[in-house]
Amino acid sequence: MRVPIFEMFMTSPFEGLQEHAEKVKECAWAFQQAMECHFSPKCKTFEEFRQEIIQIESQADVIKRRIRGHIPKETMMPISNFLVFRYLREQDGVIDAVEDTLDWISYRSTKKTPQELKKDFALLVDSVIDPIEVLSTMVAQAREYFKTYSEDQRVVVKDIIRKLRRQEHEADRFEDIIKKKVFNMDTDAVSIFHLIRLAETIGFIADHAQNAGDMMRAMLSR
Amino acid sequence: MPQESYVLIFGYIIGFYMAWNIGANDVANSMAPVVGAKAVTIRQAVFIAVILNVLGAVFIGSHVTNTIRKGIVSTDILTDPHQVLIGALSAMLAASLWVNFATWKSLPVSTTHSIVGAMTGFGIIAGGFSIINWTKLAAVVISWIISPIFSLVVSYLLFKIILKLILSKENAFVRSLKLSPFFIGTTVFIVVLSFLFKTPLGKNLCIKASDALIIAFIVAIFFGFAGMNLLKRFVKESNFDGAEEIFRFIQIGTACYVALAQGANDVANAIGPLAVIYSLVKTGSVGATVPVPVFLMLFGGIGIACGISMAGHRVMETMGKKITTLSNTRGFSVNFATATTVLLASKMGLPVSTTHAAVGGVMGIGLARGIEAVNFGVIFKIMLYWVLTVPASAVISMVLFKLLQVLL
Repeated sequence: MRVPIFEMFMTSPFEGLQEHAEKVKECAWAFQQAMECHFSPKCKTFEEFRQEIIQIESQADVIKRRIRGHIPKETMMPISNFLVFRYLREQDGVIDAVEDTLDWISYRSTKKTPQELKKDFALLVDSVIDPIEVLSTMVAQAREYFKTYSEDQRVVVKDIIRKLRRQEHEADRFEDIIKKKVFNMDTDAVSIFHLIRLAETIGFIADHAQNAGDMMRAMLSR
Repeated sequence: MPQESYVLIFGYIIGFYMAWNIGANDVANSMAPVVGAKAVTIRQAVFIAVILNVLGAVFIGSHVTNTIRKGIVSTDILTDPHQVLIGALSAMLAASLWVNFATWKSLPVSTTHSIVGAMTGFGIIAGGFSIINWTKLAAVVISWIISPIFSLVVSYLLFKIILKLILSKENAFVRSLKLSPFFIGTTVFIVVLSFLFKTPLGKNLCIKASDALIIAFIVAIFFGFAGMNLLKRFVKESNFDGAEEIFRFIQIGTACYVALAQGANDVANAIGPLAVIYSLVKTGSVGATVPVPVFLMLFGGIGIACGISMAGHRVMETMGKKITTLSNTRGFSVNFATATTVLLASKMGLPVSTTHAAVGGVMGIGLARGIEAVNFGVIFKIMLYWVLTVPASAVISMVLFKLLQVLL
């Protein structure tokens, strides 16, 4: 049927971004369970949680490819294609960092985290959980903003972005504490490398969430 | 049975098919914003379109049609009735074939312009290039550019006004209620003017332009305030959704008008050449205009109604699922821009297609950052087929004319 108007409307990339953000949110619970399992001496289900994350990550990848492949050059959106792609890359970076963290742990799964660092790692993990979850709310609120362009709604999204920045700062602080403690520990070089890299990889989760927030801020600019 | 009767039966079939196509495609195009914005359900849209198209065709549609549509070809060609009979038949068949081909290939073409092209083809082959009114043809070309651009500007500005005065405000519902007389009034103003200027019934009333403006203004003020009072009673107060709800009601009004006007005007595309054949068979001669009997208008209206309910329904269903990002404020802006463009263009004597104007309206909302994603690439494809339609249907018409000349 020849319906030109019909052809002009395309599936909104925001729907895809929302769907992708939901996938990111979905992995928060599994990630927290996996980390708690890793810190617990009795827990044996770490690998199950890791597999769950791998599955969620591959589902998120499908959504990412779908969004990237369905925005023709001539698409007119409230924001530029470039910003959508940059935002998506950062949002996807969150889920990648979650997967990388669990992969990194799995490479040395027999070696458990030293007792004196468990609390600091738990705090670091807690500080990145909220940024993982808040992305879907941010996308939903941003979509509301693009419907009305109301200043109040813009403030709501900006508050979420501000919160993401604060949380990233908090995560950085916990990461620094861990690094300091690890470098002053009396242990082998491989363990030090593994623990430092683990703290950094967990920190990347908050970094990517903050970057996604920055991209969202650029989208909101008038 | 005499040869003319066969020609008439053949004409009925092709005329019905043209009307069917208008119902299946053009009506779906013009109802897209109202269905997409969920102002009405698909079933309601089909019901509105069917009833109002038939009513528009029978009661408002022209009971006299120009023998050569849009005056593209000089009336000098009308001296030989047999030639006109073959010409009308080949033009109608050529336009039908081109529209049929376009439907099959999912190409966006205008039914109006297919008829214009086919008539041009018949004119060239029957009377040579000198018989073509090139100024009129140039107006068609200009309409390809002017109608979408004008509609784009109107929808862009209107949506920006709605955004600035209503949606971006904290108390969007209260503001939209307060401003509703303005939006309802402006819409009614355009609708009344369109009715008086564009529909044949309005033209028959022979009202002066200045009087028409005064009448439209008074009616607009009355409906604006009456509408506000009704909205106060029926729309539940809620901020953003309430504002959209108010525009939903206004949008339904514009959609009803579009359906009525489509029946009144577009049915002539399908029935015009058939009326010429009918007149030739019955009277044996033809003038610059021919009468269109009521049963022919009803025949065309039923053809459109069949098209809507048989195929347009399916198109609208897909549309409802696909166009999820169009809200009532956006849909209203598109409808308003379309109606305004069609009114102004027809006042200027430009043969515009409602579809072309609606496409421009959607683009305007896209440029105003009102829709999450609009594919502007489609516009190049649409433009290409707008341009191709006239020569393609002209060539088909020429070939058919030569063939029918040998056969009849």
